[in-house]
Amino acid sequence: MEMPRKPARHHRLLPVRPLTFSPFARSVARVATAYLVKHHMHDAMQQSAGDEFKEKLKNIDRQSESSEDEEFDGVVQADFAFFDPKPDDFHGVKTLLQSYLNNKQWDLSGFVDLILGQTTVGTVVKLEDDEDNGVFSIITALNLGRYKDHKCITELKEFLLNLCHEKDKIGNLRSLLGDEAQKVGLLVSQCVVNLPPELLPPLYDALFDEISWATEDEHKNANQKRSSSTDKDEAFVYIKPEDEILHKLSMWSFLFPLQTQQVATHELKNYQLTGIVMAVKAEDISSFRQQLHALINES
Amino acid sequence: MSTITSLMSRIFAGLQFENSCDVGVFSKLTNAYCLVAIGGSENFYSTFESELADVIPVVKTSIAGTRIIGRLCAGNKNGLLVPHNTTDQELQHLRNSLPDQVVVQRIEEKLSALGNCIACNDHVALTHTDLDKETEEIIADVLGIEVFRQTIAGNILVGSYCAFSNRGGLVHPHTSIEDLDELSTLLQVPLVAGTINRGSEVIAAGMTVNDWTAFCGSDTTATELSVIESVFKLREAQPSAIVDEMRKSLIDTYV
Repeated sequence: MEMPRKPARHHRLLPVRPLTFSPFARSVARVATAYLVKHHMHDAMQQSAGDEFKEKLKNIDRQSESSEDEEFDGVVQADFAFFDPKPDDFHGVKTLLQSYLNNKQWDLSGFVDLILGQTTVGTVVKLEDDEDNGVFSIITALNLGRYKDHKCITELKEFLLNLCHEKDKIGNLRSLLGDEAQKVGLLVSQCVVNLPPELLPPLYDALFDEISWATEDEHKNANQKRSSSTDKDEAFVYIKPEDEILHKLSMWSFLFPLQTQQVATHELKNYQLTGIVMAVKAEDISSFRQQLHALINES
Repeated sequence: MSTITSLMSRIFAGLQFENSCDVGVFSKLTNAYCLVAIGGSENFYSTFESELADVIPVVKTSIAGTRIIGRLCAGNKNGLLVPHNTTDQELQHLRNSLPDQVVVQRIEEKLSALGNCIACNDHVALTHTDLDKETEEIIADVLGIEVFRQTIAGNILVGSYCAFSNRGGLVHPHTSIEDLDELSTLLQVPLVAGTINRGSEVIAAGMTVNDWTAFCGSDTTATELSVIESVFKLREAQPSAIVDEMRKSLIDTYV
């Protein structure tokens, strides 16, 4: 099923970590946690690089009690669509990645350009008929060897190396970022706070399918950098559900403090925001995908 | 006053406040002073300082405890209007740091993001249609200008979607030709519809400008920069001449 791309209208956001992009998104942000899910999936994925885009459609009915706003009846209909990254998505993706390297000043625009330039691998999640062209999620993988000469990648590697204070892991990290870089993919995954988790399994499936289509190298290590949340009592609360699975599967990982202003929900008030860097073997990805499906579909 | 060398082009692009290209959020530039938010790298502040400090004061400040000062205040060479939630210390700091002829006034307007609701130069202001009548009077009084309630391309946040000096202005890219003409007549300066920071419509967030210089965020393309240079007539701007002119009229207030 083909869908023409709308002409771009750029919706620029003022900074200070915006969470919502459009009137719709603001409604979604007010919806509480309970929801009903209805699946309509059209599988229209196209393989070759020549095609403009692929899509999967999900209709999600969200029903909830919202005590704050009486006018709002609690049902929000959302049609999310998956698109290949395009140059038009620059502002949306850049906003999502604003705090990717904490508060470090780096060539973020260059990094976003790399992501958008890679049309064969990566997905941008947007609404079906959104005038504002708001980006709700970006997921992609960047081969660290292929892009090693780009300033943003150099800065990113430097950032990661400076983060790691554990002697036993820094050697591993250095080699993944250095001589093994050709075999290493950086997983970039960021989404708005209230993105329905039902979107995660197909998003990750799409990514790893695209990676295997785009490359013939079977023994690719996926090096992943993500945010998660931990608390001092050694109970981990993962902001992104997929992080928990990845953490269990990882060969090694280390934590680092996050300085960015993340909005803490009421439940997470006493938790300290921490970032995590994980290295996951490519052969463990199929297990990851299965577990992610199971986790999301049973909740 | 030290001598100023006149450069061929007086635009400073490539600015970032932390990782944000929204120069106009974290600063406020007029012909008489420049405000810069606290925080961010020293590069941001020093770009303003090295360009402006010989000519006008560059003042680091917060407003209402925030860094988004460009969006919260509105002003010109005659005055500065700050929102009701500006602290007493901030108010005092501004009064101490700005020239005496710049009247700093805190106003009781419920639309507290004054920078988003008001766009002005030294002669005229465009304001949000729902602004208090009292606020309109204060703008006319303190800033010494004529006030027009307007929308820009259907947007009520006129302060966000345009930036204009006494020499020219840049407005929301979807502004119609008719609206452009009407606004240009009101403002008495040439206007052009365009974008900042690689296609962003929120003009005033991405740049800040006065009669002789402009500061633009680092995502601004070469095309966008050339439009800015052209409409604001920055190519042969001579700050010394402009400031001297202003100072002549101010000499009377010195004791």
